[in-house]
Amino acid sequence: MMRFIPPRLRKPAAIALAGVLFAAAWLVRGGPLWWISILAVIMAAARAVYLYRMGGQDTDEGALAGSRADERQKLLSLRSRALACNLAVIAAFIGLTAAIAVKGAWWWPFLVILGVAGFGYLLGLSNYGVAEEGTPDEVDAGHQARSPVSS
Amino acid sequence: MAPEESRASLRASDADREQAIDVLKTAFARDRLARAEFGARVGQALVARTYADLAAATGSIPGPLIAGQPPGMSARVRQQRTRREMSHGELAQALGVSRQTVILIESGRYLPSLSLAFTIARFFGLTVDKMFGPDEEKTSPR
Repeated sequence: MMRFIPPRLRKPAAIALAGVLFAAAWLVRGGPLWWISILAVIMAAARAVYLYRMGGQDTDEGALAGSRADERQKLLSLRSRALACNLAVIAAFIGLTAAIAVKGAWWWPFLVILGVAGFGYLLGLSNYGVAEEGTPDEVDAGHQARSPVSS
Repeated sequence: MAPEESRASLRASDADREQAIDVLKTAFARDRLARAEFGARVGQALVARTYADLAAATGSIPGPLIAGQPPGMSARVRQQRTRREMSHGELAQALGVSRQTVILIESGRYLPSLSLAFTIARFFGLTVDKMFGPDEEKTSPR
C-alpha cells in the first residue's frame, strides 16, 4: 500500500493514521475524558505537518522523514531503532521487577513487552538469516575445490 | 658552488615540467591549492626553464606529495570528483545517495557498502580495487 503514497507523505500519513486510531479509542471509551481524542488528533496533525516539512530538508533527518534514505541513513535509522528497542526492553524488565517486588497487579504488560521483544528478536534471526545449514561444499565432501577462473 | 645550486641552474626537460604539473594537479585535487593559484602555478611550470623555476612553481607543497602517489581511498573519491568539477550534490545525485553520504565518504568517516563501492567505481570508470584499494606503496613489499 505504501507504494501508492509519495515517499514524503508516508511517515506523516502513518503518524496521522496512528493519531486517528488513538483518538477513536478515546471516543469509543467515552466518559468525561472524550476530549483527549481531539487533543490526540491535533497533536498527530501537528506532528505530521512537522514531519512533512522536515522531509523537504537536505539533512539526514530530512531524508529519514521523507522516506528517501540512502544506505548510510538507513543504517543510522536501524541502529537508532535497535537502541530504542534495547532501552524499552531494559525499562520493561525494570518495570516487571518492580511490579513483582511491590506485589503490583500491573506486572503483566511488562511481561508482554518482554515477550514480544524476544519473539521479534527470534523472528528477525529467522527472517534475516542466521547461517543456514547448507550442503557441505566440495572440500568437505572430499573433492578438491576448483576456482571458477581456473581451467 | 653547492650541488643543489648547480642542479637548480640546470635546464629542465618537458618530462620535468609534466612531473611538476602532476604534483600541482595532485595538490589541487587534495584542496591544497585554490583554482586560481593552481592555474597560475601550472602556467609558471609550463614556462619554467630551469629546475629552480620548477621548484618555485611547486614551492610550499609538502614533499611527500609526489606525482602518481595514490591518495587514501576516501581522498580518491574527492580527487575523481574535483577532476570532473562536480559538486557533492551532483555526485550524490549521480550515485543515488545523499550529499551527506558523499561528504562522509570523502572525509573517511563512512565506508560504502560493496554495492555502493561498485557504483562509485563504475561511475568514475575505475575498478573497485583502484578506487578503494589500499595505497600501493604501503602494501608493496620493501
